[in-house]
Amino acid sequence: MRELTATIAGGSLEHVVLDMEAGVEHLSRGTARNTDTLLVIAEPYYKALETAARVALLGKELGIARVLTIVNKVRASDEESIKQFAARHALQVAAEIPHDESVAEADRLGIAPIDHDDSSRLIRAVEALVKQLLPG
Amino acid sequence: MKIAVAGKGGSGKTTIAGTLARVLARAGMDVLAIDGDTNPNLAISIGIPRERMPDLVPLPNTVLQRVTDADGKPKGVLSLSLEEVKRQFGTAVAPHLTLLQMARVDHAGAG
Repeated sequence: MRELTATIAGGSLEHVVLDMEAGVEHLSRGTARNTDTLLVIAEPYYKALETAARVALLGKELGIARVLTIVNKVRASDEESIKQFAARHALQVAAEIPHDESVAEADRLGIAPIDHDDSSRLIRAVEALVKQLLPG
Repeated sequence: MKIAVAGKGGSGKTTIAGTLARVLARAGMDVLAIDGDTNPNLAISIGIPRERMPDLVPLPNTVLQRVTDADGKPKGVLSLSLEEVKRQFGTAVAPHLTLLQMARVDHAGAG
């Protein structure tokens, strides 16, 4: 399946969003090798950030042109520890996505967050991320 | 733009992938969203209604054929064009957005 996924992602399509297998052990097997951008999503906890830093490094070693670490579910009380971690581990955090109760609500309802609340903090943060990702 | 989204379970990886695909498509970009997770949840995060879930057709591994390239190295090629793959196995989510569900891996080490 990984080979097939990599082949499809590398095909002649303009835009692809690939939701990879959970976990990080598989990354070295190259499912993402045909992509140009790797988003590494981490929760704002020390161990999660540590793992993300390792994955980001691995992504760069695989030759992915752009590797961005994104901290998700961020509360105001997390800001300082994220900053300290990033400084100590030379980790560049490309974006922080705030904790958003409407995501859990959407999950309970079994619908997409964007269909539940189109202007939630998550949606606004992802829109800002898209602006960051787009060239120019 | 070809974006891979990685993260541990529970990180919100799939929520972000689904939302990102929707936001890109809403901006008019043609997007193929691929659910490569062995525990597929992207359909929900991207906005496929529950009642349409049974319509999802996972892409079988058999569309990948093993061939040997000019240097004698094995490689995989698709037996269908990407357009065919999208047409036969893709699910329309929204304007400009198609979801492709990869087949589950049934035993460790496969795929």
